Amino acid sequence: MGLMNFAQGEFIMVPAYVLYLLAGVPFGLAAAAALAVGIGLALGAERIAFRPVRDADLSAQLVTSLALATILQSVVMAAIDTRSQSVATPSGLSESSTILGLAVPNLELVSLALGAATLGALSWILFRSRVGLEMRAAAENFEMARLLGVRANRVLSVAFAISGALAALAGILLVTQTGQVSPTMGLTPVVIGFVAVTIGGFGRIGGAVLGGVLLGALSSLLGAYLPDGLQPFRDAIVFSLPVLILIFRPEGLLVRPGGAARI
Amino acid sequence: MHGGLHSPGTVAVSAAAPLALVGLTVAIGASGSPSLQGTVAIALCNLIIVLGLQVFIGNSGVYSFGQLGFAMAGGYLAALLTVPASFSAFQTPGLPALLSEAQLDPLAATLIAVAGSVLLALLVGLPLMRTSTLAIPISTFAFLIVAYNVLANWDAVTGGSGGLVAIPTSTSVTSAGLWAGMAVLAALAFKWSASGYRLQATREDEAAARSLGVRLMGERMVGFVLSAALCGLGGALAAQQSGVLTPNAFYFAATVTTLTMLVVGGVRSVLGATVGALAITVVVETLRGFEEGHRVFGLPSLGETPGLAAIGLGVILLAVMIGRPSGLTGGREAGELLRRRRESCSSSARGHGVRLTSIPREGAHLDRGTKRQELVADGVSLAFGGLQVLRDVSLVLRPGERLGLIGPNGAGKTTLVNVISGFQRADAGSVYLGGGNVSGHSPARLARAGLVRSFQAALPFEQLSCLESVAVGAMGTGAGRRRAVGEARAVLTRLGLLELSAERAGSLPAGSQRLLGIARALATRPRYLLLDEPAAGLNDQEGAELVEALRDVVADFDCGLLLIEHDINLVTELCTRVQVLDQGRTVALGSPEAVQRDPAVIESYLGSGYPAVAGA
Amino acid sequence: MLELREVRARRGGAEVLHGLDLTVEAGEVVGVIGPNGAGKSSLLRVLCGLLPPSAGSVSFDGRDLTGLAPEQITRLGIAMVPEGRQIFASLSVAENLRLGARGPLGEAATAEAMERFPILGERCGQRAGQLSGGEQQQLAIARALVGSPRLLALDEPSMGLAPKAIDSIYELLDGVRREGMTILLVEQNVARTIDFCERSVVMSRGVIRAEGERDELQRDPALLRAYLGRQL
Repeated sequence: MGLMNFAQGEFIMVPAYVLYLLAGVPFGLAAAAALAVGIGLALGAERIAFRPVRDADLSAQLVTSLALATILQSVVMAAIDTRSQSVATPSGLSESSTILGLAVPNLELVSLALGAATLGALSWILFRSRVGLEMRAAAENFEMARLLGVRANRVLSVAFAISGALAALAGILLVTQTGQVSPTMGLTPVVIGFVAVTIGGFGRIGGAVLGGVLLGALSSLLGAYLPDGLQPFRDAIVFSLPVLILIFRPEGLLVRPGGAARI
Repeated sequence: MHGGLHSPGTVAVSAAAPLALVGLTVAIGASGSPSLQGTVAIALCNLIIVLGLQVFIGNSGVYSFGQLGFAMAGGYLAALLTVPASFSAFQTPGLPALLSEAQLDPLAATLIAVAGSVLLALLVGLPLMRTSTLAIPISTFAFLIVAYNVLANWDAVTGGSGGLVAIPTSTSVTSAGLWAGMAVLAALAFKWSASGYRLQATREDEAAARSLGVRLMGERMVGFVLSAALCGLGGALAAQQSGVLTPNAFYFAATVTTLTMLVVGGVRSVLGATVGALAITVVVETLRGFEEGHRVFGLPSLGETPGLAAIGLGVILLAVMIGRPSGLTGGREAGELLRRRRESCSSSARGHGVRLTSIPREGAHLDRGTKRQELVADGVSLAFGGLQVLRDVSLVLRPGERLGLIGPNGAGKTTLVNVISGFQRADAGSVYLGGGNVSGHSPARLARAGLVRSFQAALPFEQLSCLESVAVGAMGTGAGRRRAVGEARAVLTRLGLLELSAERAGSLPAGSQRLLGIARALATRPRYLLLDEPAAGLNDQEGAELVEALRDVVADFDCGLLLIEHDINLVTELCTRVQVLDQGRTVALGSPEAVQRDPAVIESYLGSGYPAVAGA
Repeated sequence: MLELREVRARRGGAEVLHGLDLTVEAGEVVGVIGPNGAGKSSLLRVLCGLLPPSAGSVSFDGRDLTGLAPEQITRLGIAMVPEGRQIFASLSVAENLRLGARGPLGEAATAEAMERFPILGERCGQRAGQLSGGEQQQLAIARALVGSPRLLALDEPSMGLAPKAIDSIYELLDGVRREGMTILLVEQNVARTIDFCERSVVMSRGVIRAEGERDELQRDPALLRAYLGRQL
């Protein structure tokens, strides 16, 4: 909906730390708690930090989100530690199950299941619920939606709650897969996301996905084929990609250049 | 000195205030303990970096999150050039002999560091400034990450993530202060130069600036490169102050810190950058004192609270963005702040309307070629959103002619003007200026060729004064600042707006803003002036005065005038010819009287089968 | 039912309504015509809450609308069909309709709309962006009606439509009128508007210049003057 958010990374990181803090608690409960925290954090951020600057220009929103990200990161660093911590993978997940004669790590299964469930839930919300309908309408034409009775605040809050939930999920998955949390763990996904959006063109989910896939693919390719001496520069090369693309297509890959009038 | 845009007093005060702050800081530092000196010297280096940020972000209105990448570049260059050969051998074994054996004096190293940053900025800026305004924050952010990655991983050349040590520490409080003073003057000089004004115009309103001949990308590049130079300077000096340099020194934390300094002080002003930098330094040092559990300024100790400074910084930034986004100085320079206080009693509401005076023609305006040139739109068609907005429309405008373009809503009038002035591309048809095909040329290019337009929505440069706004018109089409100011004054006088020179354009009532938009366009000395509903928002008397002024001006400049208007009376009074559009087609073309009686025209406005003509 | 008193409004720094008075009784069909820049759209924007008036009052059934958000005003019973139709192109026809329907009667109202507007019933699963201009206009009107409003306000419904499509729209509006709906119609097309509405007002430059029923207006020179200037 036109909001760019540096703090998204922190929405990933904080729930991950909740998992870390609840290490002794049964995994399901801990994950639920992390999810709740993620949603609450996003809602709180919307109310306190984003609503006041809703009508300001995008630069102001960017800087505000940067401020929020800094605060959250610093609080975590101060409260816990600046270094990364390990999180033990719950016992059930570190084993493998046998499916069709293959040993599949439970972790992968759970991740897959969670991912599918999330996608399913998201689709359901977006496409089958009243709120989702209102959100899609508001995303296309905010003013007209209001003229039909759609409550602006409600739609935005729900959007934030959903993004908070998704971020929390990402955080949970990251923790269980890597076994680590660190205060800066939210940064990479955010940068990748931002860069993906730049490549794919703003306002198009398809573009962001394409951009993300391209970045991921490039990173893997480089990992496989780049000479050893240049391996440390993989990130640098990957993040230079948007610059190259923007030289030729200043508005992103999926947006047709030249469109409508500029005024 | 400044060609009259600001009074000498304003200029002097605006320069003196931040310089005085720098001087004060130097004085405090020089008289303190060695550790205080170190802190103050670093603070001054930060100030230089913040000034670098101000030069780009403040004037362009675009946030670059990557400027500290140039501080990294400057710092590393200076370091590599000054580290003694013996240390180079084991820190940076991969460095070419030329560099590792070089051990330059601080000044040379610093200057080369700045040059290097400039070169890097040219390289990086060319693609980045081409991107859309929305993409620049993100792509510059990507640049920062790339820079960090390269520096942190190129172990052989940069010492990797461990960084460099044994950099000769040559930056003292005094030398940092001197450089800071020069940076202040440079930032101010740029802001109030023709180039700086053009960049500020793009910040205020991109479309209006382009319509006045300002080249968006070019101006942003200038600001970007100058900004990089200052950031590189700050980085180089900082490296030579602390004696060690790691890639982390100018990464995220530093970006957030310097950005906070700028925003808190006021993004748009040099004074703001200075005040913000110094104030936040004090705050951060205080908080760091608390972090380590000390008592600071007599306040009780909080015990060890790591991270307090970072949290405090974030909170301050957030509070400012929500509560007072324009910062402590509100974006004004010292001279402007003082003047505002003095004039606060004079009323800013000019409800009495605009006085227009007719001034006799001056020969100086007529230095143009005598070759007759026509503006021709030929067979223009355009469809968008599924609608055919223009159908094979043609239009001819000759110098000295006044053509009215009228028609019901949705007829395509503004779209036609958009096409002619380069803001939209037609699907078919061409535009010719003096025989040459100018279809598809950018608005800025057309403005420089003498084709200028105004907008329905005034689009004022809100934060600039009226005089500055109009001067931008002349600067956009290539005039230097001095000449631009002279032109601006002449035009403002002609339109009766001279007494509003010092007022902020954003504070004017709507009618005056529209007039100001016309004045802006006139300052470019156009050959063809396209005005979009100039009389909207003016009452009857003001409208009449506008007619007078336009008639005179057009005669003076010998330019062609195209007027989109809904006020038929105005069109009848002013225009020699009228063209009527309806549903994207030309429906009538002729004298105003003929057009008014044309049944086809009446039908366009009132619908078919309308009996009213019989009675009127 | 609807009363605007001394309404002034500013848009982009300029005052676009200079003290407007307008009354609409329940069941009336009132037209608003006038040249561009007259303030007709601003009038509607003030009515539906998108433009806060700088002075004056707007009341609906005695209730003051000043300061209410658009979504609140809609829920009070004022439905707006804005300029350019503004249907949600990426949503289906059915979804567009459903947006207009609130509360438990929503499903029933949606079904009813699809009966009354058979074309919509046919295309109910299609993306609204694929409809023709005339069909989109029908959708916009249906969507407004689905919420069972008490007042229907339309901003230039005939703009950009071919004459035949305009005919269908006006037929539909006629049906709506017959059911007793109160209608406020802003239009460019003078002849049709004066014909369709019991009473019309002529605006120019932010005020009402003339008012009356069809016959009166057709003879009133003020009408022509509003459009083509005093020279005539």
